[in-house]
Amino acid sequence: MKRYEHKKVVIIGGTSGMGLATAKMLLDGCARVLVTGLSKEGLESAQKEIGQHAIVVSSDARSLTGIDALASQVKAEFDTIDLLFVNAGFSIPTPLGSVTEAIYDEMFNLNAKGPFFTVQKLAPLINRGGAVVLTTSVANVKGLAGQATYGAAKAALRSLARTLAAELLPREIRVNAVTPGPIDTPILGKVFPDKDAVAQIREKMSGMVPMKRFGTSEEIAKAALFLAFDATFTTGAELPVDGGWSQL
Amino acid sequence: MSLLKNKIAVVTGGSSGIGLATAKRFVEEGAYVFIAGRRQAEIDKAVAEIGTNVTGVKADISKLDDLNRLYETVAQKGKIDVIFAGAAFVEKQMTTTVTPEHFDETFNTNARGTYFTVQKALPYLNDGASIILVASAGKNKGLPGRSTYSASKAALRSFARTWTSELKEQKIRTNVLSPGAVDTPMFDEQFPSRKGAAEARKQITAMTPLARLARPEEIASAALFLASDQSSYVAGVDLPVDGGLTAV
Repeated sequence: MKRYEHKKVVIIGGTSGMGLATAKMLLDGCARVLVTGLSKEGLESAQKEIGQHAIVVSSDARSLTGIDALASQVKAEFDTIDLLFVNAGFSIPTPLGSVTEAIYDEMFNLNAKGPFFTVQKLAPLINRGGAVVLTTSVANVKGLAGQATYGAAKAALRSLARTLAAELLPREIRVNAVTPGPIDTPILGKVFPDKDAVAQIREKMSGMVPMKRFGTSEEIAKAALFLAFDATFTTGAELPVDGGWSQL
Repeated sequence: MSLLKNKIAVVTGGSSGIGLATAKRFVEEGAYVFIAGRRQAEIDKAVAEIGTNVTGVKADISKLDDLNRLYETVAQKGKIDVIFAGAAFVEKQMTTTVTPEHFDETFNTNARGTYFTVQKALPYLNDGASIILVASAGKNKGLPGRSTYSASKAALRSFARTWTSELKEQKIRTNVLSPGAVDTPMFDEQFPSRKGAAEARKQITAMTPLARLARPEEIASAALFLASDQSSYVAGVDLPVDGGLTAV
């Protein structure tokens, strides 16, 4: 299949999980893909898995100078792009009373500020008719104990999808958000380092989801690519891919 | 009427506009009110205008030390029953011209400042207290030039959900109040010229079903509802007071 032939795509946070699954799907469809990541293990495993076909770049999605450097590199590699998938993010679950300034700032820098400036700096490279897809989270419409900063930062990102969609309308660039529920990705192990804790969380979360299971990274990838290339009359929207969690 | 008899309330952004109208109304309803603001002259004016049962505290909510000082002052009077978190920063900027400084000032006041306004208050809150976060009707819209402001206010809407879960044991209710355009000094201050402000008034009037801006007293009425037992079964909601702007 050459479904994505001649498409040029940048995926922020593309070395594992949902971002990596999306990159693979795009590569299968003959797209040109650049993925970014930060952790050494992630970069190395992505290089091994898709490095032959994709460009794997070490980039800190929170750093404004990092984002500037990335924009220059994308310009040099691709000149213009058709899709910017802003997918990097994670949560440090902490109850209100124990959130420190450092945790607060980390959550907002990674999940709101970084994505904002990534879109600001890379939007000039997006072709007319192109798209931006942001990864939010069901946490942005739920009240999950311990997720105040993460949920709020993702809610900020969801709001950005609306405003950026309005501002990029004149260039016919659509901006939408894909909203994962619990997804089976390596990040769960990073958020909860204790293995028993992971198993417990997994069971608890599965129980809360109407479909009684975790989603797969591929299910997110399909939705992201739908928003990116097929949803041509959709902008400023949010597509929940959460087993019904936020809707039923 | 005395819906807040013997209650203690803290109103941030209390020296003008929505906050001042709310502080006045709370005092009329029997509360003792602490108003926090950034400008001493404005605070003094507001305290004089309210007259009795009011203390002014100079505090910038984006500074954690100021918040500590605010609550130490309040603690001398007693425990807190109502927090009206109304302090905010607004500056209209298109995404292309947003600087990191503008982004930080917006988020540090609106999202981070409000977060720690509540966190720092926790030890001083009575069981059954009511927390009111002032967001904005704009957070549900994609209004050009509002990317940072709307996103920071969307974060507040998310905080209310999480805190409703986290503070349920203490029977503390957290709700959001979302004004549309209100006839206040802050409305005009966000535009570089009087002419710009007049044009914006005209535009918003045309977009709003009730075809006018809100009076600060109308926001205060909604705040009183959320602050008092009138709303004893209302938790985690977003109450729009926007003349129908986001409803149609």
